[in-house]
Amino acid sequence: MSATVLAAALLAAAPAEPSHTPAVDYALHCQGCHLVDGRATPGSVPALSGTVARLARTPGGREYMARVPGVAQAPLGDAELAALLNWVVQRFGPVADFAPYGADEVGRLRAQPLVDVAAARRALLGGDAH
Amino acid sequence: MANDRLDRWLERRARKLARGTSRRSFLARLGTIAVGAAGLPLLPVLRASAGERAPAPDEVALAGRPEGDPKRCEYWRHCAIDGFLCACCGGSQNTCPPGTEMSSITWIGTCKNPADGKDYIISYNDCCGQSICGRCNCQRTEREKPVYITPKNNDALWCFGTKSRAVQCSVAVVLGVATES
Repeated sequence: MSATVLAAALLAAAPAEPSHTPAVDYALHCQGCHLVDGRATPGSVPALSGTVARLARTPGGREYMARVPGVAQAPLGDAELAALLNWVVQRFGPVADFAPYGADEVGRLRAQPLVDVAAARRALLGGDAH
Repeated sequence: MANDRLDRWLERRARKLARGTSRRSFLARLGTIAVGAAGLPLLPVLRASAGERAPAPDEVALAGRPEGDPKRCEYWRHCAIDGFLCACCGGSQNTCPPGTEMSSITWIGTCKNPADGKDYIISYNDCCGQSICGRCNCQRTEREKPVYITPKNNDALWCFGTKSRAVQCSVAVVLGVATES
């Protein structure tokens, strides 16, 4: 047995983290700060409710949502993250004509970190963005 | 003859009574009375807790299942708790002690309930606004991450968005079952 085959066999045998529904992934990876209804905590956490729809309709907003630190660094694979983002857009939009994120697209976007999140947010949503 | 008439009259009364009152309706009325009587002494308690927070789904998710001792670190919900258990500090496993404010911002993980083998989503909320409780200090770390992965770290104080940053104790609120896809 070659080392590659052995490594592949070991990887396949390793217990994987369970894959959850997007609603559960939201609870596990987003809700701690964004709360169950996506409302803002003034001074600490910006709102998802209402803001997601504005971002979805703003040029550059689609890319921004996949690049913010909480999304880009979530401990999820690209496909799971895309499913979670699509769930968030509809849960806190909804945005009827929104083309769903794809796994490849999310993989590409999350690899480009936002160096200054607040500045990027202001550029997209204006000065009152929080 | 008089006895016959009395028998017939009693029989008619008994049959009429039986037709008009089924056992089911009797049990329903008895149940209503029993539940009402049981609820009356609880009403002031429910009113007092209703003002503090929305009802957690713990009771719904775990209805009828053995829960264990929420004053122990080994209690299943505490699989990643770090801090003083509110159950030992005048609160419970899902309510803050009087005079403290539950932080809405929190960190969230999962714990397996040995009663049914399911993974439950657990929210570890800090209760803020009073000095530390000092009783039942627990440090468990299942699926908890190092501090550089802040949203999954339990060393941090999670009194965000509260009037005070002083932490008294921590609760472990069940949010639901971690349904797998």
